[in-house]
Amino acid sequence: MTANQFVALSVFLIGGIIFWMPRFAGHVRGFQDFALLHVLLMAVSLLAPHGSWAFVAVAATSALHAVSAFTISRTGAVWFVAAALASIAAAIGVHLGVPLLAFLGSSLAIALRVGLAPVHAGVSRLCERSPALQSQQLATAVFLLVAHLRYIDHSSVAYDVAAWLVRVGAILTLVPALVALVQRDLRGFYRAATVMHGGMLFAAMGAAGRGHTAAALMVMLTTAAAMTGLGLMVQALEERVGAVSLLDAGGRAHAFPKLAASFVIFAGAGVAMPGTAGFIADDLLLHALWEESVWGTATVILGSAVLAIAALSAFAKVFLGAAKRSVAPDLRRPERIAAVVLLLMLVWLGLTPGIVLTPADAFFRSPSALLSLG
Amino acid sequence: MSPVKVALAVAIAAPFASALWLGITVLLRDLRPSEREVRGIIGAGLLASVGASAFVLLSWLGALGAPATGDIAFGSWLRVGTYEIPGVARLDALSVTLSLLGALLTWLVARFSETYLHKEPGFSRFFVLLGVFATGLQLVSFAGALDVFFAGWEMLGISSAFFIGFFHERAEPIRSSVRAFTTYRLCDAGFLIAMVAVHEYLGSTRFAALDQSAGLTALQVNTIAALFLLAAMGKSAMLPFSGWLPRAMEGPTPSSALFYGALSIHMGLFLLLRIWSLLEVAPVVRGAAVVIGLATAVYGASVARTNTDAKGALAHATLAQVGLILAEIALGFTTIALVHIGCHALLRIFQYLRAPNAIHDAHRLGHARVVHAHQAARVEHGKWHRRWYVLSVHRLRLDDLLDAVVSPVLALARVLDRVDQRLRGKTTLPSALPTVREELTLGQVTQ
Repeated sequence: MTANQFVALSVFLIGGIIFWMPRFAGHVRGFQDFALLHVLLMAVSLLAPHGSWAFVAVAATSALHAVSAFTISRTGAVWFVAAALASIAAAIGVHLGVPLLAFLGSSLAIALRVGLAPVHAGVSRLCERSPALQSQQLATAVFLLVAHLRYIDHSSVAYDVAAWLVRVGAILTLVPALVALVQRDLRGFYRAATVMHGGMLFAAMGAAGRGHTAAALMVMLTTAAAMTGLGLMVQALEERVGAVSLLDAGGRAHAFPKLAASFVIFAGAGVAMPGTAGFIADDLLLHALWEESVWGTATVILGSAVLAIAALSAFAKVFLGAAKRSVAPDLRRPERIAAVVLLLMLVWLGLTPGIVLTPADAFFRSPSALLSLG
Repeated sequence: MSPVKVALAVAIAAPFASALWLGITVLLRDLRPSEREVRGIIGAGLLASVGASAFVLLSWLGALGAPATGDIAFGSWLRVGTYEIPGVARLDALSVTLSLLGALLTWLVARFSETYLHKEPGFSRFFVLLGVFATGLQLVSFAGALDVFFAGWEMLGISSAFFIGFFHERAEPIRSSVRAFTTYRLCDAGFLIAMVAVHEYLGSTRFAALDQSAGLTALQVNTIAALFLLAAMGKSAMLPFSGWLPRAMEGPTPSSALFYGALSIHMGLFLLLRIWSLLEVAPVVRGAAVVIGLATAVYGASVARTNTDAKGALAHATLAQVGLILAEIALGFTTIALVHIGCHALLRIFQYLRAPNAIHDAHRLGHARVVHAHQAARVEHGKWHRRWYVLSVHRLRLDDLLDAVVSPVLALARVLDRVDQRLRGKTTLPSALPTVREELTLGQVTQ
């Protein structure tokens, strides 16, 4: 197996496992999520012999998400259709060799999928209505970003707008983090945290335009894993106790200790908790951003710090306080296993990030076919 | 791998592995682990860390052959192109002293807590956090690069915040926990910016690279040093960030002893000792540090003398000494500062662990502190004494001051939230579907 094939396999496994966890935990049932089709499209996006096919595959995943989302949120469905169209535009751009069209289409698709403000209404709606589906679409967004980094980020357009993207991404990291501080319900916090990570990813995309592709990949993988874990915990809690307000102390840690522990770990992993992938992602990202904008770097650092404070504050409001009893059970076994799998993935990526990231730059620099059919 | 490398790896990894093992056990199992099991898992990790730290000390002293000193490379934590997070440990007087002192005190406090927290509902949680703290401490002690140091530094901050909020059924510990964490994270932003700047200007985040700090411009060196000083001020509760320290006494006595008496409170000072080669060429920041240190000492001593609760008085007395140590470091007395840190840590951990008994003695055995008539008269009749007394009682209104800084930020956040709501409202289709909340009535009933 070549180094490029190893990176592709790692990304496939990580993305696939993250995608599968909401289903494994029992938060998605039946054929609602088109799981097998998604897995097939993930593989196609990585193995496609040409960039345009990779973008067609990720456009198809967006379209499938639109179908899944339609019964839950029409806004979310419309957003996914828009993301699919943008991906098709990127595919056409790559096919015809028009870098500007490819870059614009791909960037718009990523912005719509990761919830970059101000085009975050679709993702926000999904966060509020179905964190499980939002987690799954974030997992497939990994493959959209990989296609962007492999086939588009080497263009002169990406290089020219890098500094601009970093600055915009930095501001759109800090603003949602501040918004997360003043949320009044748990899903509001989850929504703001997701949008904040969207801004961070956009800043990372900017840095990738100047060659820091590994940083962008790590930020995306961490965001997908941590926000999936957090989404699972939010959904698990709300299935048990209904809507969760952040106005008073909830005192739920006594009734749901495992849920509380998992919640705080995933929230922490999203804000650079050491020992997890989040720490490495932030470290890599900050070094990459510094080369483009010192103020952008400081803004992202502040955004991450503010979200960390918001996360602890939300945790305290939801789980701490005078104990409240509940007849609902703590995390069920499948939910616990899903949490542990995601946690181990985050720890593994945090302790030995080099396994995936060291060969990643070469993988993105040489976007040749991974399988030789001749 | 050489024996010293193995010992270093064990010192750091053993408590982490034990905390991770216990954490996953708690998550996966239906039943809570017994106290004996918890003690066994974490105790083994901590004891292994003590043994490994002692071995490293002996190796450094040369008792086991040629002395092991300087940077010991473990390869790269991460290498991507030209960028590297070096996996490097540093063996010198600073690291071996803090490592062994920290490992021993953590193990002793763990032993003390087995009895102190017997049958407490959060017994497992306490020991998992202790494992995280021990890992962070060993990382900070042995770190040969800023990235590794920061990983440990953050672990200390996180475990500290959760220890403060340990008795989470009451509102005050929760508020105190969030306040302490807020101070940590905002001040740590300074560390992060400084770390990235060091990498960019000096080419590496290794502490050894700081020896080339003299080659930087005065503005660069003073800015980076000031950012590190900011991080140290947050962690060591220097003025004006001292407000969280008395609130941190809401945690269990053993964790208060370990964090705010012995180890965590000195970590800011340890950072400054570690970056001494940078600080040495930053005279403006050193001058500022002397002023901040002495001001903190005066503040701590004054408030300690007017405080009416035992742990609060101890916290401020600790602060007074920490302020003095900061001044010592800034004036260049680094060896004295290291000795001062060691002796102070040992004294305070004893005083904190004895605090509950001291309160008992004062109430039951009549050993209450006597206020002499001339002291009372001085406060009553002296204008400046009275004013200073009132200010000290109110802790210089530091919390109000910081709240006044935070309030406009929260107001801005609320404005941004309203803008966000409007923006989302305009780009969201009107819903004909029931919301998730309306579907969750069954859950609400069970609540």
